Amino acid sequence: MRSAQHLSDHPSPRRHRAQRSEAIWGYLMAAPMVIGYAIFFVIALGASFVLSFTDWNMLSNPVWTGISNYRKLFDDHDFAVALRNTFAIAIPNVILRIVCSLLLAMALNSKIRFRAFYRILFFLPVLTMPVATATIWKWLFDPSFGPINAFIRRLGFAGPEWLTHPGTATIAVIVVLLWSGVGYDMIIFLAGLQAIPRDYYDATAVDGASAFQQFRDVTLPLLTPTIFFLSVIGVISSLQVFDLVYVMTRLQSTNLLPTVVFYIYDEGFTNFRMGYAITVAWALLAIILVFTIIQFRLQRRWVNYDL
Amino acid sequence: MSTTIITPPRRPVPLGKRLRGILLHVVLLTVGIIFLLPFLWSISTSLKPLNDLFQPRPSLIPSTIRWENYRDVFDNVPFVRFYLNTIFVTIVRTIGTVFIASLAAFAFSQLRFPGRDAIFFCLLAGLMVPDQVLMVPRFIIMREFGWLDTYQGLIVPLLFSSFGVFLLRQFFLGIPKDFHEAAKLEGASPLRVYWDIYLPLARPAVASFTFLSLLASWNEFLWALTVTSSNDMKVLSVGIALFQGQYFTNNAILLAAANLATFPLLIVFLFFQKQLVEGIALSGLK
Repeated sequence: MRSAQHLSDHPSPRRHRAQRSEAIWGYLMAAPMVIGYAIFFVIALGASFVLSFTDWNMLSNPVWTGISNYRKLFDDHDFAVALRNTFAIAIPNVILRIVCSLLLAMALNSKIRFRAFYRILFFLPVLTMPVATATIWKWLFDPSFGPINAFIRRLGFAGPEWLTHPGTATIAVIVVLLWSGVGYDMIIFLAGLQAIPRDYYDATAVDGASAFQQFRDVTLPLLTPTIFFLSVIGVISSLQVFDLVYVMTRLQSTNLLPTVVFYIYDEGFTNFRMGYAITVAWALLAIILVFTIIQFRLQRRWVNYDL
Repeated sequence: MSTTIITPPRRPVPLGKRLRGILLHVVLLTVGIIFLLPFLWSISTSLKPLNDLFQPRPSLIPSTIRWENYRDVFDNVPFVRFYLNTIFVTIVRTIGTVFIASLAAFAFSQLRFPGRDAIFFCLLAGLMVPDQVLMVPRFIIMREFGWLDTYQGLIVPLLFSSFGVFLLRQFFLGIPKDFHEAAKLEGASPLRVYWDIYLPLARPAVASFTFLSLLASWNEFLWALTVTSSNDMKVLSVGIALFQGQYFTNNAILLAAANLATFPLLIVFLFFQKQLVEGIALSGLK
């Protein structure tokens, strides 16, 4: 490394040629990514921004309508419903996922037998195709022939028609999202737990701290960066829920529990209101950004990066 | 070990500790069974004869095992086509994504060229934009290219992963520069250095990124739903989602289809699970 620096201090024609050749290689090797990115991100993003100010059914030319799409967002009942559904799913989902995955990770962090087996077991749903997950659970939640209601009936209650009422459907979706997401968070928590030095626990044990005190004073503070990370990506990903809810709650052609992403898809590709669909997508991006910024702001109050 | 000699002997606590251990196992086992039940129920349902499906007291064990449900999946819809489409699209997308991202990551971490850091910063900004904002414009670009309802349309727009460039660049930066310098002195081209030295050395990161790409591609739904229209071009996720209640009126066959969509990936995972779980924990991102 030092020799390279030394050489570059004294540019020679040979060195010059080497630098040029390195730069050419650099451009060549980055080119596939950069070109693809330019087309499918940069141009797409620019087009998306411009089109959000238009009315466009894809058949005729786009019509410039200024900010009327954005204004429409504020008194669009369907958008409000989609937003409410999305939050009703996202908030409990993020909280439950973090609590449950932390509990599982702590249970698996001890020198327990069959650890690897449990770890695999809890991770399997993460890998399962969301459409397949939804298909399987839709059958589990079947009001007449599904095992869940059969179990509830055995307890002496009448089970609800889970997926045909927005309230119970929301609960069902939250349960399924928990099942399919908890394993991922658990793996991240396990990595966080294993990074905590043993000495910290030994030190508090000498002071006679109980298991709960150790959890409160050592584990939890040291895991706050992990919790923060998981809550940020949890909020971002659960505000974008689509396939699972789409398959679980669609009855014939109506969607009982439209989420924001479903609404974008529906406006664009069913009703052919492309301009407005894009506007809704930008609103979603804005909401995600606001939540992420709030989380980053609040982190100073509770996240410890050193202890 | 030596500390046990120095510290005063503690009260023997085998009973409390053992009780706690047993309790932990009971809890974990219960949760584990609850986690496994949906899979078990799905397998059992997929093997049930039609009569078994309409019992008010369904049982986990089928009255008779009907393997034919799995054959019927392939008779019912162009399922074979969906399957082959998914395999093809996933393989091409995964190889392409890993190759493109790792090449760029190598360039951004090891080679010097004007504008490098500015370009890399632009790529990073893409991490924040959700795909939904880009979905409609990408659809329009596909229409302009004449790529709607084609394999190119399914594959190409999803080949460019900012996350992959970011992840692999971090990893390449951690590899000592001496390797690169030594190879350069021997006159190896950067492409050689990338292929012979950096890619093999970055194997843990490349492997976990490959698997994450594979997983994302196999399970992908929204883009495939948007860009394909004919049955010939559909992938598994779209086929299963759209044909519920239409072709798949028999739930046993529907769940057989869902299982066939899920299990190949689970089996791949079981083979590589140790490295993959560690890789995911390391990369810390989806």
